[in-house]
Amino acid sequence: MARPSASQAASYGALLDAVRGVQWRARRAVTNAIAGTHHSTQRGTSAEFTEYRLYRQGDDPRRLDWRVLARSDRAYIRLATDRAVLPTTIVIDASASMAYPVGGATKWRFAVNLAVGLAAAAHAGGDPVGLAVAGREGSPATLAPRTRRGVVAEIAHVLDTVEPGGTTPLAPVVAALRTARIALITDLLGDADGALHAARIHAVGGGEFHLIHVVAAEEIDPPRRPLLAVDPERSEMRRMLLETTRAAYESRFAEWRSDMAHRWRAAGAAYTEVRTDEAAAHAVRRVAEPAGGIQR
Amino acid sequence: MSWLAPSALALGGIAALVIGALHFITRSEPRPEQFPTARFIPERPLRARARRLALSDLALLALRAAVILSLAAAVAGPLHGGVRGRVLRVVPLDRSRAVASAREVADSARALLREGDVVIAFDTGATLVPVMRATDSVPLSSAPGSLSTALAAAIGIATRAADRADSIELVLVSPFAADEADDATPRIRETAWPGRIRLVRVGAAPVLPFNGGVESAAPLDDPVGAAIALGGLRASDGSVRLTRATPSPADSAWARTAGHVLVHWPAGPDAAFTRRAVADTVGGVVAGDAVFVARLARPWVVEGHTIARWVDGEAAAVEREHGDGCIRDVAIPLDAASDVTLRPAFHRFLGALLAPCGGARSGLALTNDALSRLRGAGALATASSLGPSRQASSWTPWLLALGALLLIAELGARRVRASAS
Repeated sequence: MARPSASQAASYGALLDAVRGVQWRARRAVTNAIAGTHHSTQRGTSAEFTEYRLYRQGDDPRRLDWRVLARSDRAYIRLATDRAVLPTTIVIDASASMAYPVGGATKWRFAVNLAVGLAAAAHAGGDPVGLAVAGREGSPATLAPRTRRGVVAEIAHVLDTVEPGGTTPLAPVVAALRTARIALITDLLGDADGALHAARIHAVGGGEFHLIHVVAAEEIDPPRRPLLAVDPERSEMRRMLLETTRAAYESRFAEWRSDMAHRWRAAGAAYTEVRTDEAAAHAVRRVAEPAGGIQR
Repeated sequence: MSWLAPSALALGGIAALVIGALHFITRSEPRPEQFPTARFIPERPLRARARRLALSDLALLALRAAVILSLAAAVAGPLHGGVRGRVLRVVPLDRSRAVASAREVADSARALLREGDVVIAFDTGATLVPVMRATDSVPLSSAPGSLSTALAAAIGIATRAADRADSIELVLVSPFAADEADDATPRIRETAWPGRIRLVRVGAAPVLPFNGGVESAAPLDDPVGAAIALGGLRASDGSVRLTRATPSPADSAWARTAGHVLVHWPAGPDAAFTRRAVADTVGGVVAGDAVFVARLARPWVVEGHTIARWVDGEAAAVEREHGDGCIRDVAIPLDAASDVTLRPAFHRFLGALLAPCGGARSGLALTNDALSRLRGAGALATASSLGPSRQASSWTPWLLALGALLLIAELGARRVRASAS
């Protein structure tokens, strides 16, 4: 893959500066054995002491606390909490509905900034971070999780070459991932049910799933003029948005967003709704450092 | 301000109204736009109408209407400060021998004419005369008058001047002698002039006494002298003097008197006539209705107001004014040994050559019926009835340029509107 240019790196400079210091901690202890920054479910020999436990047959004799054995004539082994890395893959929806508004594609640019910001936050914590571009026509563009320098720039470079469009389902891409943490950035206007099913399986398997629901400001507050709306992914769907139908539209849309939040959270995913009229760095912070704190 | 084609302006107005109506109709059908959350909009019939217009749309409508109206105005051809709306007079003035007084004709013209009117002086021909000169005086001629000539000339000039006015009034100033009308006069009047004609009668010249006697010194062995004697025309105090040699000063002085006709018919070579390069022979000669058929030599060439022609059309005898009378040059040599001059056909031909100056005059006036037909009825002739207008508006190219600029502006406004939406 070609190295990203300096201008590409510079275009995300303000965003990367804004998300510097953001720690994207795991929502619960991770099971990974590779040393990292996240709390691990494993007890090991790290310097951070946790507790003593009686020696049991099969324990490694090298973990015995010889001082306690000498003083009390009892065999204890010293336990310490391990720290582990959390490999993260950011899945971004590049379907046709993300290319909105036509000509400006504000929604897609916001999603790209969000992906780069989250990648930077994960990479700053020492986690391997990768990318999968789903939803568009053709095979999905993927980058395997890496911890090396420059991986964030590579992700930005890949995203800059993507033009959103197509109706390919997200679920197969999500289901194929074996990464401990998956962050799916989407507007949920494609195969939301399929993606939800894949997320549920991932969560049941012990993985961590983040659903970042991107909503365009124009979708929440459509133009006041009469609008003959055509669904970009289902061209046969044409509806007239008028003053008389506006209230019903807003009600239905809000109800659907609420339902999505409920269902995704019930599936064990961390659901965050972001709007395109907020700063991308702010959205990154809301995803990585939710107000409710992190489960241990 | 007036318009060359006001109907184009009306059509442009209608087109602008149609554009406006279409604009509102098309506004009521919004263009389809991609909207990802379209599925949450309640399903309704797509015939729903817009009830609001953006300002940019009104500007676009105004631009389109301005384009239509400017192009329509260009086609309509505005005339600013033009002479349209007035009545143009075309005035043929009779200057023929039938008119008694040139002063009377000038006075009649002075009472009628305004600036911009057109004056024609006519007898057997017609010439354009400046208005100032016409009101001063128009010199009379000894030629007979022709109302057909006057009408034809006036109609031609009126057609060419039709762009300068809405209506044309034809005013004929003439004594309306019966001799001035011919078979073509009523036909021209009825078919070629679409309006009424104003007739201004002036006094007719009295018919001078013409006794028909011929003073001639030609001997009886001369062919022409024999014909005169045979016809009993010879007189000592006639209105016609015939000379078979070059006219003397006394003959010339005699011919200056009104009603006198001097016929110069040389019997042999004459210095006053130009000899032809190649002399030939002709089989006949015609004067008025009289035809004289004989093998005649043609040694000379004469030019002027023709009163007799060879059968191939060349002038055989001409008449020229001389004082108040006239002189006729007859270039028809006759063989002294021939007896052709004794034939009745030659006598009729000779009678035509011995007629008064300008031909015989009846002294009668046109009948009231003929005058009524000449006058006609109804309104004045309109400019449009005389033919299509050839006048161009100086505003047309500017209005076309304005229309083109507005079209470009409309294109820009449309793009701005498209990008804004």
